[in-house]
Amino acid sequence: MTASLVKCVVWDIDNTLLDGVWLESAGQLPPADPQLVSVLRDLAGRGILHALASRNPPDAAAYVRELTGADFAAVECGWDSKAEAVGRIAAGLDLSTDAIAFVDDDMLERAEVSATLPDVLVLTPEEAAEAPGWPQFSPAAVTDEARRRGELYAARRRRDAEAKAFGGSRDEFLRQAGTRITIAPAGPADLPRLHELSVRTHQLNSAGQPVSQAELAGLFDSPEHAVATVRLADNFGDDGLVGAAVLTGSAVTSPPVSPGGPVPPASPRPPAGSPPLARPEPLVLTVPLVMMSCRALGRGALDALLAWLCRSAAARGAAELQVPCLVTERNVPMRLALAAAGLRAEPGRITSDGRAVFARELAGSLPALADWLIVRDEP
Amino acid sequence: MTAAEEGPAGNGDSDLVIAGQLRQLLVQVTGRDELLEIGLETPLLRGGAGLDSLAGTLLLRQVERRYGVDVAAEDLNLDALQTLGTLAAFIAARTT
Repeated sequence: MTASLVKCVVWDIDNTLLDGVWLESAGQLPPADPQLVSVLRDLAGRGILHALASRNPPDAAAYVRELTGADFAAVECGWDSKAEAVGRIAAGLDLSTDAIAFVDDDMLERAEVSATLPDVLVLTPEEAAEAPGWPQFSPAAVTDEARRRGELYAARRRRDAEAKAFGGSRDEFLRQAGTRITIAPAGPADLPRLHELSVRTHQLNSAGQPVSQAELAGLFDSPEHAVATVRLADNFGDDGLVGAAVLTGSAVTSPPVSPGGPVPPASPRPPAGSPPLARPEPLVLTVPLVMMSCRALGRGALDALLAWLCRSAAARGAAELQVPCLVTERNVPMRLALAAAGLRAEPGRITSDGRAVFARELAGSLPALADWLIVRDEP
Repeated sequence: MTAAEEGPAGNGDSDLVIAGQLRQLLVQVTGRDELLEIGLETPLLRGGAGLDSLAGTLLLRQVERRYGVDVAAEDLNLDALQTLGTLAAFIAARTT
């Protein structure tokens, strides 16, 4: 596939060109992201135009212009959607939208532009930092590695374009695309990626704070915890490790019960040192962390993970699944997935670290496991 | 207008108007024209209209832009998204 050449890059300002947020900077204005400033220069040297699309007032654009020394061929500041801003910039410069790239740190802004203007090349700031090596930005002289990355990106665009043209339901598309979601126990080789996910995921993160590699390694060694990883691939490409969940609670520490098998009448083995219980407490599976890359959003991976958590909890004999979730403006997609999986939070049931406890009973019908879900070695 | 003027100003009429607008927003965020036909009782998540968490979030953003109602901030469990009708009523109760 020949990638169409980008003629204009439309940049977001906050947390993209600026290393911080313009409006929040009382007194001291945030610096520019040095890596992206050099990308601005590099691309301008190739004759590629730049433009700004921001929700900030025009003063912020003037500040960015001064700070970066870059020329911006068009500036859109206001509260319209970014898709409308990008559309106006393309029209004003007399460019078709397939000659436009859009860079924004906010996943929802990117999703909205992708949905409305499918021909626009939509990039995260991290992708934009390496994009000068991609064929879309350079007609000649591209390294193999850069070409491969550019192709991975092109695969994602083909998937998005086919999904949009598909017309059927999302599940039908996931099946047709050959989606494969694999849940497996985490291993030491997964540590760096798991740490990275805990830092980078916001919209699909229940805990809202990074987890260090040392803490993660401690969870691997703990008999009271299990860590499940989620990998995602389809006919368009392999996204690798995209998500994970940490499992704990009495249902993890007590011996598992095979699904459909006889439920042992004996009480679960109490933890060492605790007094024997006359009547066993109902077992609970608690999930202190669920996180998923935004790459997996819209591709069924979080729904599959939550459905598996429900079924895994039931198979371990738990009466309740609990997912304590920090409620923020950004992680609305996580709450939507929890609601779709039948978990609810009682107002006022808040953990000591300020999270709402989303929970569901495990009697009755549980969310179905998608037939493209593969579970290896039950984490 | 006569029917609305005669009876008490129930929310029923505005619910229906808002539900019609919401169907348009659903098509906009999913690209699926058949969602123009869904009934008030159709669940929005998964089984019904089949919104996943991305499409659901984009719908809530459009709702906030259009009606100034921030469903996610007011509704911890997002019960408003149970069906098309519940979402329309949630918005109507805050805008009429």
